[in-house]
Amino acid sequence: MNGAAVVSWGKRFVRSFGLPRIIIALFLLSLFILAPFAGVNVGTSLSDTLNRFGMNAIMVLAMVPMIHSGCGLNFGLPLGIIAGLLGATISLQVNIPGPASFFLAILFCTPFALILGWGYGALLNRVKGGEMMIATYVGFSSVAFMCIMWLLLPFNNPTMVWGFSGRGLRTTISVEGYYLHVLNDFLSIQLTKHLVIPTGMLLFFAFFAFIIWAFLHTKTGTAMTAVGSNPVFARASGINVDRIRTLSVVMSTWLGAVGILVYQQSFGFIQLYMGPFYMALPAVSAILIGGASVNKASILNVIIGTFLFQGIVTMTPSVMNSMIHTDMSEVIRIVVSNGMILYALTRKTEAAR
Amino acid sequence: MKMGRTLLIRLSAVLVILILSVVLFFIGKSHTVLVDNKTVTVEGREIAPLKLVEVSVSKQGALELTPRDRDKFEVTGQKHRVTVTYTDDAWNERTITRSFTVPLMQDMVMVLVPALVAHPEGDQALWLENYEAPTYAVTMSESDEVVTDDMAGLITGI
Amino acid sequence: MTLNATKGQKLLRFLANNTVPILFLIICAFGIPLSGYSANYLVSEIIIRLVRNSFLIVSLLIPILAGMGLNFGMTLGAMAGQIGLIFISDWGIVGIPGMVLAMIISTPISMFLGWLCGKILNMAKGREMVTSYIIGFFMNGIYQLVVLYGMGAVIPIRSKSLVLPRGYGIRNTVNLIGIRKSLDNLLMIRILGIPIPVATFILIALLCLFVLWFKKTKLGQDMRAVGQDMEVARAAGIPVEHTRILSIVISTVLAGYGMIIYLQNIGTLNTYNSHMQIGMFSVAALLVGGATVAKANIRNVFLGVILFHLMFIVSPMAGKNLIGQAQLGEYFRVFVSYGVITISLVLYEMRKKREQAEAGLSLAAAQEVEA
Repeated sequence: MNGAAVVSWGKRFVRSFGLPRIIIALFLLSLFILAPFAGVNVGTSLSDTLNRFGMNAIMVLAMVPMIHSGCGLNFGLPLGIIAGLLGATISLQVNIPGPASFFLAILFCTPFALILGWGYGALLNRVKGGEMMIATYVGFSSVAFMCIMWLLLPFNNPTMVWGFSGRGLRTTISVEGYYLHVLNDFLSIQLTKHLVIPTGMLLFFAFFAFIIWAFLHTKTGTAMTAVGSNPVFARASGINVDRIRTLSVVMSTWLGAVGILVYQQSFGFIQLYMGPFYMALPAVSAILIGGASVNKASILNVIIGTFLFQGIVTMTPSVMNSMIHTDMSEVIRIVVSNGMILYALTRKTEAAR
Repeated sequence: MKMGRTLLIRLSAVLVILILSVVLFFIGKSHTVLVDNKTVTVEGREIAPLKLVEVSVSKQGALELTPRDRDKFEVTGQKHRVTVTYTDDAWNERTITRSFTVPLMQDMVMVLVPALVAHPEGDQALWLENYEAPTYAVTMSESDEVVTDDMAGLITGI
Repeated sequence: MTLNATKGQKLLRFLANNTVPILFLIICAFGIPLSGYSANYLVSEIIIRLVRNSFLIVSLLIPILAGMGLNFGMTLGAMAGQIGLIFISDWGIVGIPGMVLAMIISTPISMFLGWLCGKILNMAKGREMVTSYIIGFFMNGIYQLVVLYGMGAVIPIRSKSLVLPRGYGIRNTVNLIGIRKSLDNLLMIRILGIPIPVATFILIALLCLFVLWFKKTKLGQDMRAVGQDMEVARAAGIPVEHTRILSIVISTVLAGYGMIIYLQNIGTLNTYNSHMQIGMFSVAALLVGGATVAKANIRNVFLGVILFHLMFIVSPMAGKNLIGQAQLGEYFRVFVSYGVITISLVLYEMRKKREQAEAGLSLAAAQEVEA
C-alpha cells in the first residue's frame, strides 16, 4: 500500500539528487565493498581518499563564490593557482624553514591573488554570458605566460633553480624542509596501522568552509546570491552588480591560491610550468558531482563532491587493477569527470540564464 | 512515392561506396614480394641457385641476385608479373615472365627464383610460397609505454 | 575635410577589425630577422603548414555560419579519422586507395559523433563553445576506451606491430609509412627549389569551392538564418535544431578528412595525443587570420595558417638568439596562441554586448517616436 508513496519519494529523491550523482555514489560504494575481495586494504584506501579530499577540497571550494555570483564554473582556476605558486616560490626564496614558510606562502600569495583576481573579475564583467569559455582561456594564457616568467624571474634559492645554469626554476620543487606535511601531521590520528586521519588538513578546510558559509550569510553574501540568481532584480534593489561579481572572482582566485598551497604541503612538491594547466577540470567536476549546478552551489556540494570524486580517483586504479588486471581508471576518470560537466552544462533549467 | 525514391537513392549511394571500399581494399592492399635465389627442393629434386640473375616484379626496377641472395619488392594489388633474366649454360640470355596472384590477406610471399627457372611453365605453387615473417622481427618493442597525457596542450611543436 | 575624416574612420575601423592579424604581423616582423631563417626555408615551411592544416581549419567554418561558434568538437572528427587510419594501417592498405578507404571508414563514425555532438549542443544553447570543448575531452575518454582497451581485444587487429606487447590496445605511435605523403607526392612541382604538393592544394581548393557553394544553397542560407536569430528562423519555418545538428555533422566529417590529410603529411600518428592538439591549433590559427566567433571566411583560414605558423616556426629560434633559450620562444608562442584566442573571445563578447545595447536603445527610441 505504501509502495506508490515509496516510489514517488524515490523519484523525488532521484530528481533532487540527480541520477548521475546516485550512479557515481553507488559506483564508489561498490568499489569500497569490492575492495577487500580484491585484496585492497580498505584502511589504506580510506586514508588515501581522506588525504586527497583534504588536498583538493579548498580548490573545489574556490568554485563556490563565482557560481553564487552567476559567473559560472571557474575554469580560470589556474589563475588562482598561479598566485599560489608565486606565494610558494617567494616563500621558499625568503628561505625560512619549517611551518612558518607555509603561512608566509599564504601571506605572499594574497596580494597576487587580489590583483590577478581583480583584473580577472573586471574582464569577466565585460563578457557576461560568455564567462566560462573566456575563463578557460584566461587560465591557459596565464599558465603559458608564467612559463616564461618562471624562466626569467630572478629566483636564486639553490633548491629551486636548475643546478647547472643557476637560472630558471625547476619544473618540480620539493617543499621538504619547508612546509611538507605541516597540515597533514598537525594533530593527525593514527587509527589503525593503515588508517591515518590528516586532522590538521581537514580542520584547515573546515575553517575555510565555515568562513565561506558564514560569508554567504552576511549582507554581502546574500547580495552575491541575489546577483547570481537575478542580476536585473539585484541591480534594481541597489546592488552594485559588477562590484559584487568582482569580489566573488577575487575570492575564488584567492581560495584557488590557498588551495594549491594545501595541495603542495601534502603532495610534497611545487609543480610549475604546465603543472596548473588542467587543474580546473577536476575541481569543476568535483563540485558538480557533489550536486552543484552552473548557478547553484553549497558547501555541502563541495564536501560530497570532493569525497566522491577523489574516492573514485583513488579507488578505481587499485580495485580495477586487482580485479581485472587492467588499469582503466584513467578512462573512467576522464569519462566521469567530463561527463559530469557536460551533464551540468546541458541542464535545461539553467540554460535559461 | 517521393520518400521511396530518396531512400532508394541513398541506399544505392551507400552501396556504391561499399563497392568502392572493397575495390580500394583490393587495389590498395600492400604485399611484400621476396625474391630468393638459394637451393630449393621441388618435387623431391634439389635445384641449385643461379650464378647471377636479374629479377623484377611488375614495373619496378630490376634487382640482381647472386646465390643465397634475398631481396624484396613492395607492391600493391594482387596480380603481378615477375620477370627473371639469366644466362643459361650455353651463355644464352633468357627471360622468363610469369604473372602471379597474391592471396588477398597475405602480407608476404616469396618467389623462389631457381624453381621458377627450372619450371618456367610450372604451376604457380611450385615457385611461389606464402611467407610469414619470424615473430622476433615483428615484435619490436621499443616504447610500449602508453602516454595518454592530456597535459600536452600546445607545448609540443607541430 | 569630410573626405579625410571618413578616410581616418575607415582606417580606424580597418585597424579595429583586424587587430589580431596586425598584431601577428608585427610579432612576425620582429621574429623573422631575429630567427635568422632564410626566406626560402620559411616559404617552404609555410607551404607545408598550409598543406597540413588548411583542410582542418576550413572544417570550422560551417558551424560558425550556423552561429554555433568555434567547434572545438572537431576533435571528434579527428578521432574518427585516426580510427580510419589505424584500420588501414592494420590491413596494410597503402597509397591513395588507403587514404580514400580511411576517409570512407571515418565518415560514418564522424557522422555519428557529429550527430551526438549536435544533439548535446542543442541542449546547451548559448554556451556551445565551452560545451563542445568539454565534449572533446569526454569523447577522448571514450576514444581511449575503444583504442586502448577495445582494439585487439574486441575489435580484431591483425598486425602485431600495431598492438601493445600486452596483447591489446594500440601503441603510442603508429607508423603511417604506407600513406606517408602519398597525396602530397602525387603531383609535386618545384618552384625555385621549393616543393609544392599541387594535388593537396587542388583538394583544398575544391573544399573551399564546396564551402562557397554550400553557403549559397538552401541549407547554407538556412544556417545563416539560424546563426543570425534562432527564433526568427524558427518562425520562418526552418527546422532550427536539425539545421544546427547538420552543421556540426558536416564540420565533423570534414575534420575527419582533414585529419587524414594532416597525418599523411606528418607520417606518424600519435595515437593518444594528435587529436587533442589539433582543435587548439586550428581554432587559434583561424582566429589569428582575423576571424571572429561569429564571422569567418576562407581568407581568414589561409591568412591565419600563414601568420600563426610563421610565428610558431620563428619563435623558438628567435628566443634562442635573443635570450639564449629556445624554451623561452616555445613558451612564448604558446602564450601568444592562447592569448590571441582569449582576446578574440573577449572582443567578440564585448561587441555582442554593445550591439545588444544599441539594439535595445534603437528599439526604445523607435517606441518613443511611435508614442
